[in-house]
Amino acid sequence: MVTVLTFIVLVVVGGKYSGHGGDTTGARTGTVADYQAATNPPGAQATTDVPLSQAGINQLANEAGHLRISVNFSWLLMTGYLVLFMQVGFALLVTGLTRAKNAGHMMMMNMASFAIALIAYFAVGFAFHFGGVAPVANLGGLGPLSGIFPHGDAGLIGTHGFFLQSAHGYDVGVLAMFLFQVVFMETAGYIIIGAIAERISFAGFILAEVAMGAVIYPIYGNWVWGGGFMAHLGQSLHLGHGAVDFAGSGVVHATGGWAALALAVILGPRLGKFNKDGTPNAIPGHNLGYVVVGTLVLVFGWMGFNPGSTFGATDLRISVVAVNTLLSGCFGTVTAMAWTNAKWGKPDISMTCNGMLAGLVAVTAPCAFIAPWAACVIGIVAGFLVCYGVWFFDHIAHVDDPCGAISVHGLCGTWGVLATGIFADGTYGDKWNGVNGTVKGLLYGDPGQLGAQVLHAVVGAAWAFGITYLIFSVARRHMSIRVSEAAELQGLDEPEFGAFCYPDFVLVTSTTGGSPPGHASPLPGASVGRRHADSGAPPPAADRPIAGSGKEDSR
Amino acid sequence: MRLVTAIVKPFKLDDVKEALRDATVQGMTVTEVRGFGRQRGHTEVYRGAEYTVEFVPKVRIEVLTDDDDAEGVADMIVAAARTDQIGDGKVWITPVQTVIRVRTGERGADAL
Repeated sequence: MVTVLTFIVLVVVGGKYSGHGGDTTGARTGTVADYQAATNPPGAQATTDVPLSQAGINQLANEAGHLRISVNFSWLLMTGYLVLFMQVGFALLVTGLTRAKNAGHMMMMNMASFAIALIAYFAVGFAFHFGGVAPVANLGGLGPLSGIFPHGDAGLIGTHGFFLQSAHGYDVGVLAMFLFQVVFMETAGYIIIGAIAERISFAGFILAEVAMGAVIYPIYGNWVWGGGFMAHLGQSLHLGHGAVDFAGSGVVHATGGWAALALAVILGPRLGKFNKDGTPNAIPGHNLGYVVVGTLVLVFGWMGFNPGSTFGATDLRISVVAVNTLLSGCFGTVTAMAWTNAKWGKPDISMTCNGMLAGLVAVTAPCAFIAPWAACVIGIVAGFLVCYGVWFFDHIAHVDDPCGAISVHGLCGTWGVLATGIFADGTYGDKWNGVNGTVKGLLYGDPGQLGAQVLHAVVGAAWAFGITYLIFSVARRHMSIRVSEAAELQGLDEPEFGAFCYPDFVLVTSTTGGSPPGHASPLPGASVGRRHADSGAPPPAADRPIAGSGKEDSR
Repeated sequence: MRLVTAIVKPFKLDDVKEALRDATVQGMTVTEVRGFGRQRGHTEVYRGAEYTVEFVPKVRIEVLTDDDDAEGVADMIVAAARTDQIGDGKVWITPVQTVIRVRTGERGADAL
């Protein structure tokens, strides 16, 4: 009865009032009347007569300029929120790719990294990074950020904006910029989790995040994005437009990836990862569902990461950026799927997800400068690179990288930087880094640009690996950056945090790949539980590498 | 009295249960287990590194019967669980000294 009455009311009211007064197409919303309603005092008579005086035109121009910046602020903040959401994707991805006994530790690292690195970036990182970036036209100039050391062409570090303060207080443009940039820094911060998983101590991890937020990421970021010397290679060495990195294949991903490599080398492999002869054992992750969902969340976040890097929706290149990003990601996915199928007989689920991320990472630097066909090529190459990279670090380099972070972000990030210098087609980027003309890659007649990109890749890798290695070689003499062997065998949840991610399950632990995900069963001798922790007894035999398989622990 | 123990493929559990319910069997106990037989598991590849699934998931079914029923119950389980593929499992019969029903304290055949 109520439904029928509601229906009748809707029909009567709708029939009587629809089409009267409403703006169904949007064509009449946002006119000079709205401008006057917004600028005149309440109650003043609105009129559609445009004042033709110079003063009136100036007033309109001011309003137009204000709207332009407002649109750009909205775009920058919204895409920043999307990038923030990528934290969820990474948490799921890396937790799914590791074992159930460490799931709480993995999640806690993702949680803590966000706050710790943000505070470090707020205090000093942002000032080091963007302290001298002004002017940025899309955001109203960012006038307060005008301090760089030592000087213009040879900038090494920004000097304005510590604790988001400047001589004249804080600034709306600077804070909008901070929100967008801090979530980029978080990306580099959580990339490293993939390579240090299941063995780093929480104290060591906090140090890594502080270093990432305050030093490793911001200083290299300054060189390329903050007006530093890498951005000025075009003027100083006449190499194209200097180091060009649209959304951070190099600045964000390669930096995170190479820092992750340094950490993985210093920490050493997980117990049972490599045999005495160096051959790797598979240590399957515990939840491939998390891995797939996490990857798709990351794809969604990337729709902010790349298109947002225009710093404004008034730059309509954003559609090209978004589509190129998706194309490269999907070609990377298909390539990884096909490669693993051809090589091992079945498509590997987690490598397929890595293939998606590889394509996204690689297209992040070139996405604004290239045609869609080039994005496809870049994605295909990235798909091969990540598969080869994971194999290489496992079988040749013997670096234990549980989630493929080094291959996805380090290798494919570097490829993205180089690809910009190859495929940039000269349709975008006029006056980029202060150099006249559009950005052209090798294929479009500017080998100098590729030269700048090679320098970008090499200097970036040397900085990220070098500074991280230095910090942690010093740190490990004064603190314990790796958990104890007993804690690693038991799983880090209880030793590090006193709580289990999955307290209601009896977990089967094995250091080799004896127990594929989903096949855990309550074998009494192989349980991780309070029984062992309380009694302080050594872990039971079943926790050690499975006997009789001929596999011996390398450590 | 006899204990009939069967290790079968997990997806065959329903078939075995249906077959036994039609017979004179009063109850059964089911446990999820893992193990290997003559094949010694099988090999898979994860992210480019080979690993062996050394213990394959199975279901263990335990049924208590009279001495005379044991062979028949075992045959029923074998018929219901067979797929003619590798890894179909095993059934065995063991003697049971006594059985006690917890609620009433009945002993022997009365407790079945």
